[in-house]
Amino acid sequence: MSSSLIPPESLARVGEILAGPVTVRIDRRESQRYAYAVGDLNPIYFDDASAKAAGYRTLTIPPLFITHALVTPEPASKLRTDGLYEDSTSVALEVARMMFGGEEWDFLEPVCVGDEITGTTRLLDLDQKEGKKGPFVRLVRETTFTNQDGQVVARSRQIGIAR
Amino acid sequence: MTNYPKMATIKVGDELPAMHKRAEEAELFLYSAASFNPHRIHYDRAYATYEGHEDIVVHGPLQGSWLTQFITDWAGPNARLLSVQWQNRASAFVAEELYFSGSVISVDQVNGSVELEIYERKEDGSVLMPAKATVKLEQS
Repeated sequence: MSSSLIPPESLARVGEILAGPVTVRIDRRESQRYAYAVGDLNPIYFDDASAKAAGYRTLTIPPLFITHALVTPEPASKLRTDGLYEDSTSVALEVARMMFGGEEWDFLEPVCVGDEITGTTRLLDLDQKEGKKGPFVRLVRETTFTNQDGQVVARSRQIGIAR
Repeated sequence: MTNYPKMATIKVGDELPAMHKRAEEAELFLYSAASFNPHRIHYDRAYATYEGHEDIVVHGPLQGSWLTQFITDWAGPNARLLSVQWQNRASAFVAEELYFSGSVISVDQVNGSVELEIYERKEDGSVLMPAKATVKLEQS
């Protein structure tokens, strides 16, 4: 077993809230811009009659848009060299690089334009593993999304691989 | 009316119609803008190669949204996506041809849902993104 890539103070943060709660009203134009950018022109995102015929209260949104709807803009002065914002919530690790490992989503209730969505992100899991290329850290952040009626509408687990 | 899959007739092994995507610089720029993502590897070729990437990198969540589109285009507007999971095994780059394929791996008639296995591949056949999803289809 190689030395730990996870400082004890980071391990102690498992379960902690990393971001939020942040509440945002789902905006039609933002959702449709996202759909255009993806190239997903499903009528249930653009045409109220089509959305209602499919059983939605009104226009629904591309499923993964919900996470981008909650992004809070920050001043350009907070951008780092790599273009990302300085992240006061990042978890300190003894690694050179964090990579996007994948995501897991549960969709529990429909989300429509006009809904007030609250997102809260927790550090769900932090685990050192041995891989073919040496030790790495698997970091899982879970975001819970609730609507204006207090229903959990979705959960996402973002998996980061750091080595 | 498009003929979307139904619980009454779906079976294990049924395949989703293949989908192909290719994102040029303009599409990647639009996705950065629409998702408010300023990460330089998605628009600055010199910076991306300095970081060790082959070229401008296609956003992981963009490929995630292509994946959900692949599923919902097949399942139709009355179906409901219940869950999706994917792994990003390698990076995709600007102007690369990317191919989505998938099939039904189990059918749950009690809950009215099916489980799908999906792959996003590069032109050489290597898997970029293996994925699974659960979808509630129309009954009949």
